Amino acid sequence: MSDAVKTMIPRAVSSPGTTSVSSLNAPSIALPLRFLAAGLLALFTGVVLLVLRPEMLATYHYNQYVIAVTHLFVLGWICTVVMGAMYQLVPVALETRLHSERLAAWQFALHLVGFAGMVWMFWAWNMKQVGHFGCVLTVGVGLFVYNIARTLLRVPRWNVVAAAIASALGWLSLAVCAGLTIAVGKCSYDSAAALAPGNPFGTLLVGLKAVAALVARFDQISAMHAHAHLGALGVFVMLIVGISYKLVPMFTLSEIQSPRRAGASVLLLNVGLLGSFVAVLLRHPLKMAFALVVVAGLACFGIELLAILRARKRATLDWGMRYFLTALSLLGPLAILALGLSWPGLPLTALTGQLENVYGFLALMGVVSFAIIGMFYKILPFLVWYGSYSRQIGLCKVPSLADLYSPALQVAGYWLYVASLAGTSIAIVLGNAAAVRGGLLLLGLGLGTLALNVIKILSHLIRPQIQPLTLRRAAAASL
Amino acid sequence: MSAPELNEALILQTLRQVVDPEIGCNIVDLGLVYGTCIEGARVTVQMTLTTRGCPMHESIAWGVKNALRNLEAVEEAEVEIVWDPPWHPSMMSDYARECVGMNG
Repeated sequence: MSDAVKTMIPRAVSSPGTTSVSSLNAPSIALPLRFLAAGLLALFTGVVLLVLRPEMLATYHYNQYVIAVTHLFVLGWICTVVMGAMYQLVPVALETRLHSERLAAWQFALHLVGFAGMVWMFWAWNMKQVGHFGCVLTVGVGLFVYNIARTLLRVPRWNVVAAAIASALGWLSLAVCAGLTIAVGKCSYDSAAALAPGNPFGTLLVGLKAVAALVARFDQISAMHAHAHLGALGVFVMLIVGISYKLVPMFTLSEIQSPRRAGASVLLLNVGLLGSFVAVLLRHPLKMAFALVVVAGLACFGIELLAILRARKRATLDWGMRYFLTALSLLGPLAILALGLSWPGLPLTALTGQLENVYGFLALMGVVSFAIIGMFYKILPFLVWYGSYSRQIGLCKVPSLADLYSPALQVAGYWLYVASLAGTSIAIVLGNAAAVRGGLLLLGLGLGTLALNVIKILSHLIRPQIQPLTLRRAAAASL
Repeated sequence: MSAPELNEALILQTLRQVVDPEIGCNIVDLGLVYGTCIEGARVTVQMTLTTRGCPMHESIAWGVKNALRNLEAVEEAEVEIVWDPPWHPSMMSDYARECVGMNG
């Protein structure tokens, strides 16, 4: 040790469990990549269906085709991508390991079969088969919740991000159960009488019949709206809020400014969501009060997010962040629309129905999908970069994440998407199918730029672009 | 030609080849390298990352090891990730501040 040259700073100490270079927290990139690919396929299929049948958005939404396409977007696109991203990001962001990669692979298969079958059977309006495929999906969701919950149990430091993710898992479980219960309520169980006494299927059918009788006591449209709120707000908005508290400071070189305010936003959202679910289901006048609690939670989130952005050290926001933040800014008009639609005694006119369509469109395609696309521009380049270049760094000159795709296409996609959201929303309010189709074609063009960039990013897996380092061994020797 | 003598300047110069792929700046100018320890042909680098739970954790650590092992005089390279003191933008060099277009 006598010839050792040390220039360590004296205060620096290792944290337990964080020093090992070989401690790979993330699963293999093949796992999230297959979720992302399946999600993109569902997104493009959904947009094509909407372009072919724009009347789905230009007329009232309670019909089999809207329900089928909504589930294609929610389960096929949003849930699939969110689940894949969570398998990748939750262990990394919370400094732990995924409980089981094998369970995640099984869940992927169950999820694909479940959501594809559900969408198909919603389209054909065969609720019995929706229930069957829904059960397959539910088993998959159960595996997902179990896997992430076990992962959360290993988290060394519980924080607002972990709390939001845990809340979203709870809401996801409730949303799926509510959806299955609604499906049970729409089936008939006459075949139970034909089965021999003591047959276990007979007992099951009698139980389902009792559930159906209970569901029949609720207004069906209210039950559907309550179920949709659990999914859209409880799962997706809660996740966006939680993930924002990790990713926005990380990508902008900033930090959370008020942990109490961040915690309050998650708490208020949870309280407001629980109350809203019951109030929407029962058509109770307190719906407005609970909507205000949700808005208060979103306001806390917005104020904290602005404070984080004001304290950032990275002056220029990249376009992935701009997609994400623009999506979050849409929570403002969406909250105003939600309050308007929650107004006690609001008559159900044609305009009200169209405003509900706008609300659903802006929530799913505006806030959630736009935010996901913004993060897509962060996650997919990272996964591909990790697969192609992480072992080359320090040995060769490797591209940065931003070099993996075309910024021009990304910018064009941003403006096309924004124009589409504005145009389609106006067209929906007017109930004009041709104009809705025009707006959706813009959306298709915007997503086309994403598709081109996805191909460009994935090409690095096949043809990595590695260059020799400018400072070579010989050059270093001359120092 | 004999291998150059291992010293901190050579190691830091070598580590400037390791670029954070998200930020686009090398780890030395970002202020992520806290110290080096040279014991014969064995080098240990003590460093941090811009945030806990950084997805680039393993990649950057591999990059540091790769870059050091590329030096003839280095036979063994180790990386120790530490979180105390936590990284802060004030640790960046002027060059890094330019890279990120730093505010304030």
